[in-house]
Amino acid sequence: MKLLEYEAKEVFSKYGIPVPKGVLIRAPEEIAAHLPEIGDALVLKAQVDVGGRGKAGGVLFADGATAVETARDLFSRDIRGVPVGRVLVEEKLAIEHEYYVSIAVDRSSRQPVILFADAGGVDIESAALADESAVRRVIVSPLLHDIPPFLMRELLGDAPKELAPAINRLYHVFREKDAMLAEINPLVTTPRGVYAADAKLIIDDNALARQGIAVNRDLSEREREAEKHGFSYVELGGSIGVIGNGAGLTMSTLDLIEFYRGRAANFLDVGGGADQERVMHAVKLVASMPGVNVIVVNLLGGITRCDEVAKGIIAADVPPKVIVRMAGTNEEEGRELLAEHGYRMLGSMDAAIRAAMEVSA
Amino acid sequence: MIYADKSVGVIVQNITGRQGRFHTELMNDYAREVGGRGVVAGAAPGKGGQEVHGVPVYNTVREALREHDATASVIFVPAMAAADAVMEAAHAGIELAVVITEHIPVHDTMKAVAYAELHDCTVIGPNSPGLLSPGECKLGIMPAHLATRGGVGVISRSGTLTYEVVDELTRAGIGQSTIVGIGGDPVIGQTFVDALAEFEDDPWTEAVVIIGEVGGNLEEEGIRSTDLPVVAYIAGVSAPPEKRMGHAGAIIEGGEGDARSKIRRISALDVLVASRPSEIPELIRGVL
Repeated sequence: MKLLEYEAKEVFSKYGIPVPKGVLIRAPEEIAAHLPEIGDALVLKAQVDVGGRGKAGGVLFADGATAVETARDLFSRDIRGVPVGRVLVEEKLAIEHEYYVSIAVDRSSRQPVILFADAGGVDIESAALADESAVRRVIVSPLLHDIPPFLMRELLGDAPKELAPAINRLYHVFREKDAMLAEINPLVTTPRGVYAADAKLIIDDNALARQGIAVNRDLSEREREAEKHGFSYVELGGSIGVIGNGAGLTMSTLDLIEFYRGRAANFLDVGGGADQERVMHAVKLVASMPGVNVIVVNLLGGITRCDEVAKGIIAADVPPKVIVRMAGTNEEEGRELLAEHGYRMLGSMDAAIRAAMEVSA
Repeated sequence: MIYADKSVGVIVQNITGRQGRFHTELMNDYAREVGGRGVVAGAAPGKGGQEVHGVPVYNTVREALREHDATASVIFVPAMAAADAVMEAAHAGIELAVVITEHIPVHDTMKAVAYAELHDCTVIGPNSPGLLSPGECKLGIMPAHLATRGGVGVISRSGTLTYEVVDELTRAGIGQSTIVGIGGDPVIGQTFVDALAEFEDDPWTEAVVIIGEVGGNLEEEGIRSTDLPVVAYIAGVSAPPEKRMGHAGAIIEGGEGDARSKIRRISALDVLVASRPSEIPELIRGVL
C-alpha cells in the first residue's frame, strides 16, 4: 500500500531523517494559523497519489501574503483527475544540491537494492535511462541492520559524506516498516543540513497487519469486499466475467479472452479448495458488476470438488449466463448437476471462452 | 529429474495443520505408488509424540532429523511464522526446503533465503506448489495424475496454470522430467536461472517449458543463461499496470515487467513464445 507524502514524512521523521517544517491542512483557510510557525517562504503540495505531481500542477510556491489565495487555488485543482482534499504546507528550503536515493526489493539477487544519483529531481527516471552510470547501485544483505561503511562509500562516490546518516536511516525505515520501496527524491543539502524534500513509501500488502494498517487504501470497495471472502479481485471494465482458481490460470483465462478479441470484466481468483459457499459469493460478486452478460468459470486442480462448484453456481442463480470449464475431483457429478439446471460445462479453456464470446457478441 | 529423487526422505513442517495433514497423505500415496521413501517424519511445535497418517510428529526439525534420515522439508507453516520455519530447517541441516505457504512478507523471505544460503539449503518458493518428478517423487501439492514421465522440464511461477500446461503436454504424449513451481512471490529462492542450471545437468531433460507472468524480468534472465531448448508462455498480456494479479509478484511496476515487452524480449532471443497454453505441446515438439 502506498503512503502519501505527509504520512511517509512522519515515518521518516520518527527515524531521525530531517524533513522540512510543515503542517497538513484540509481547507485553504487553515493555512493562516500556521504561518508564524512555518515562516514566510512556503511550498504547498497536494497530497494525492499521482505520479508526476509537480508537472501536473500539484506543487505551488507562496509567501505569507499570497498563502491563502494559493491554497484556495490548489484545493480547487484536479491533479490528473484526482481532486485535492489535503495539502502539505512546508517551509521552502534553501536548496544547495539535489540527490536521489531509493531502496527497493531486487528480485534477481533476492536482496535490498539501494540506488543513488548525484542529481535528483523530477527527471531522474529519464536521466537514468539516458546515462546508466548516473545512478549507482549497491546490494545489501537483508541480514544486516545497517548499510556497511564500505558500501556507503561505494554508493556516495564523490557526494558529501553528510548524506550517509539519512541514507542509513532510510534503510532502517525500509527494513522495519516492511517497505517494498522507500525513496527520497530529492534528498537535498541546505546551509542548515540535509533534508528529505519529498518522501515515498510503499508497504508490503502482506505485512499491513503487523504494521498496524487495518485497511488497504489501494483497493476499491468491491476489491476489499472480495478480499474479505479471500478472493484476489481486479476490475477491468469489459463484459465477460471471469472466475478462476490460481492466479496464473485466471490471468491466462483473461489473456485467452483477449486472444479471441473479447474484453474481460474482471480477474477473480477464488483460491484453492473453493466450496459451494465461496463459489456462490464469487459468482454473485462478478454478476453484480454493471455490463457483465456472461461469466466464464475456469477451475482446475486436485482439491477443488466439481460437485461443490456446481452447487455454488446453481445456488447463486444469477442473470448472466454462466459457462463452466472445470476438471478435478467429482467431475462427472458436477457435470450432471450443471446439466440438470441448464448450465453448459465444456472440456477445454479454448472451448469455454469461444462459447462465452458467442453469448457476449 | 532435478532437486530430489525417490531415495530422498522428506519431513513436513506443520504436519498437524489441515493442509499439512492432507498433503502428507497424498505425498505418501504417491511415494508408495512409485516405490519412494516419501514423508518420514513431521514437525510441529508442541505436537511432538502425535502421528499423522502413520507419520511420527516431533516438536522440532532437529528432533525429527535425530530419529530419521531426511534431507528435504515441505513447509505448510502459516505466513507469519513460515520464514522462521525455513531458517529452522536450514539450521538443522535440511538441504532442500519447499515452501508452499502464500502471503509471507517479502522482508521475511529475503532474510530466510539469505540465511538458508549460509547453511547450503536450497529454497523453492514461497507461494509454490512444490515439485513433481513423475515416477520418482512428489514434494508439495501438485496433482500427480496429470503428469507422465518424459524428457521435458517445466518451470513455473504458478500453480493451477502449471497443471493446465502439464495436462496439455500429457494429452499430447509429451512426458515431463521434473515440474517445478518456483513460486508467485516477488522474492523466491530458486529462480528460472537456478532451475534451468539444474536441468542442464540432468540427463533426462531435453527441453524446458517456462511458464512466466507479469512482474520482474527473471524469465528473460533465465532464458539468457541456458543452452537448453526452451519454449515460453507468459501470462498476463491483458493485465493492467500497477494492479496485483493474484500473486504478490504479479504486478507491472514503474512501467516494468509487462507481458508484451517480456514476450518481445524473449522472442528476440530466438525463443518461441506460445500465445496460449494449448499451443505449448506443438511448439515443444518443434524444439525436441
